[in-house]
Amino acid sequence: MELYLQFGYGMMALCRELVEEWEGGTVILSPRDLTSDQCQRLSNSIRSLPNGKVLFDPQFYLPHADHERLVAHDFWPKAYSTGGFFGGPELAKLMSDLKALNDELGTDQAVLPGLLAQEVTDDWLATQAAVLEEAQAVSFGRPLCQTIALSAEACRMETQVEHLLEHAENFKADSYYLVVQHPKGNYLVDDPAWLSNLVDIIAGLKLNGGKVIVGYSNHQMIVAAIAKADAIASGTWMNVRSFPPEKFQLSYQEEIRQRAIWYYCPRALSEYKLPFLDIAKRVGVLDMLAPTVMDPRVANLFGGEQPSTVGLSEGAAFRYYLSSLKLQVDESLKGSFEDTISAHEILLTEAETILASLRSRGIRGQMRDFTEIVDVNRAAIAATIATRGPILRHQWHAL
Amino acid sequence: MQTQNTFSWINSLFPDLSSIQPLGQGGQKLVFSATHPTEGDVVLKIIHPFQDPEGVRREILAVQQIASSRVPKILAVGRVDTPMGSCIWIREQRIMGITLRERLQNGPLPIDELLKFGIQMLESLSAAEDEHIVHRDVKPENIIVDHLGNYWLIDFGIARNLSMSPLTPLTLPFGKFTLGYAPLEQIRNVQSEIDARADLFAFGVTFFECATGVQPFIDGAASQFEILRRLENNLIPPLHLGCEAANSLTDLVSSLTQRRRDHRPSNVGDALVWMKDILKAQTKA
Repeated sequence: MELYLQFGYGMMALCRELVEEWEGGTVILSPRDLTSDQCQRLSNSIRSLPNGKVLFDPQFYLPHADHERLVAHDFWPKAYSTGGFFGGPELAKLMSDLKALNDELGTDQAVLPGLLAQEVTDDWLATQAAVLEEAQAVSFGRPLCQTIALSAEACRMETQVEHLLEHAENFKADSYYLVVQHPKGNYLVDDPAWLSNLVDIIAGLKLNGGKVIVGYSNHQMIVAAIAKADAIASGTWMNVRSFPPEKFQLSYQEEIRQRAIWYYCPRALSEYKLPFLDIAKRVGVLDMLAPTVMDPRVANLFGGEQPSTVGLSEGAAFRYYLSSLKLQVDESLKGSFEDTISAHEILLTEAETILASLRSRGIRGQMRDFTEIVDVNRAAIAATIATRGPILRHQWHAL
Repeated sequence: MQTQNTFSWINSLFPDLSSIQPLGQGGQKLVFSATHPTEGDVVLKIIHPFQDPEGVRREILAVQQIASSRVPKILAVGRVDTPMGSCIWIREQRIMGITLRERLQNGPLPIDELLKFGIQMLESLSAAEDEHIVHRDVKPENIIVDHLGNYWLIDFGIARNLSMSPLTPLTLPFGKFTLGYAPLEQIRNVQSEIDARADLFAFGVTFFECATGVQPFIDGAASQFEILRRLENNLIPPLHLGCEAANSLTDLVSSLTQRRRDHRPSNVGDALVWMKDILKAQTKA
């Protein structure tokens, strides 16, 4: 499994630096956060790096979106009527425009537009089929990646997931870009049904023969590896580490107005505000928060000074988060289903142990603390073992 | 039990057959064994006149379409006036042996037989799938073990050709099925969801029964409602066979008997390849 970079606000320099540092990588361009010129410049920049690749997400989740930058792009339809769009010339024009844009940007594969499904209905499935059919007719000249965008409720209802997967047997895209809203807008998801179903969707799509990219992910989605997802995509701010559909509306309150610096402890699968590291130092458990292999970007936090005073910048914290996550993602997939499950169980057990020690000394990650999430991921693993385990075990090498 | 008088009209209506003996009588048909001068041992089925002739025609067509060496062949079909009324009759190849149900009364199948059963049944179901035919009633009563230890799939009485419109009204809350073997989508008569994976489910349950001697949904159930509840809520337990293939077979059976059909192998061919892989590994061991 790979880590892709989900482009968000202020990530241009970061994307280039990380792709260079990682000696390759894929950036998912966001028209909401980039003008056409910026998209082109960033694409050129990334692709000039060894193994640098880009994808372009048209973000057509809400056709009535009114985010100024998004709707200013040339490909964005000037008029949209719910009834006729997917059966008329407007869809053909959108596809033709997207093909030209993908050509200009030199994308690795073409991410197709996909409406956000509040509910997996036959109408929504028909729009998915229409988009794919039109894309095939346009002939993008690159693999087609179908967007599957789901509301939190659609993902947590097993009947809807089943309905989706029954029809997915007829989807014939080369890959799938899975974008799913988190329940209650939570950063870490505490609903085991939602997570189990999401893993189930990944497994179903994989067994159906497609590649799967899980967009807008944070470290909780490392678990996607147990269904052999091909990539998860993550970024800097929470609104690219989870999927808030409302961010495509003008009225969306930008998260950067509530900025705080968070330090990610990979072994605890949790993030901490710097003042909690100060307390950790004071009570003698700071070393528990240190990464296994020290990253120079955060080394000062563990150098003896009071952590909140060493000047960890927001940018360094983001780069460190993504680099740490990349290491975990790189390690998440093993040679067999059994070994992959074991690796995840070890990851969760270690996190649980560290979290218990930290919490007993008053060190909390607040809304980014994984303590209550460990069992959610365990439940998703157990459900996957029971329902998909036998076939995943059997087909692991073929997926 | 049939009386001698019953045989007398059978004998007079089928003069070319000798040694006609009753094999069974179901709600839909009378079944006899007999000897044909050129075809040898045969089975004669006389379908009750109240049976829907279209359903019977489809059963015949289904069997004729399936290119499997282990589905008894239909040799002749006709219509005859009987004391019961005008009936369709079917003469088919008779497989000399016992039903799998009778065989299981002597205990579970040993591993070699079990794997042979698995391969042969999946081959027959795969041949049916190739013709878009779903048997819909795979169970030990509908499988015959012949004297050479080969397994034959019989009774396509409620089979469905998926390329034809269904005969069971879609409005009925329940379809045709055998409780304890049929998957939920068949029980609930969700016609659009019934495909070869329904047979995979029933085969998986039958396979488990062959391996363990236990019918996981029926044995010990107090009522039909409990069987249904088990189907809705329970997963089949692991197989404890004490052989190299046990874990792999547990995986396969678990996959075949998943409640949701999208969690099962996507077609019979895939399941057959899986079973052959297990056989290969077991043979090496």
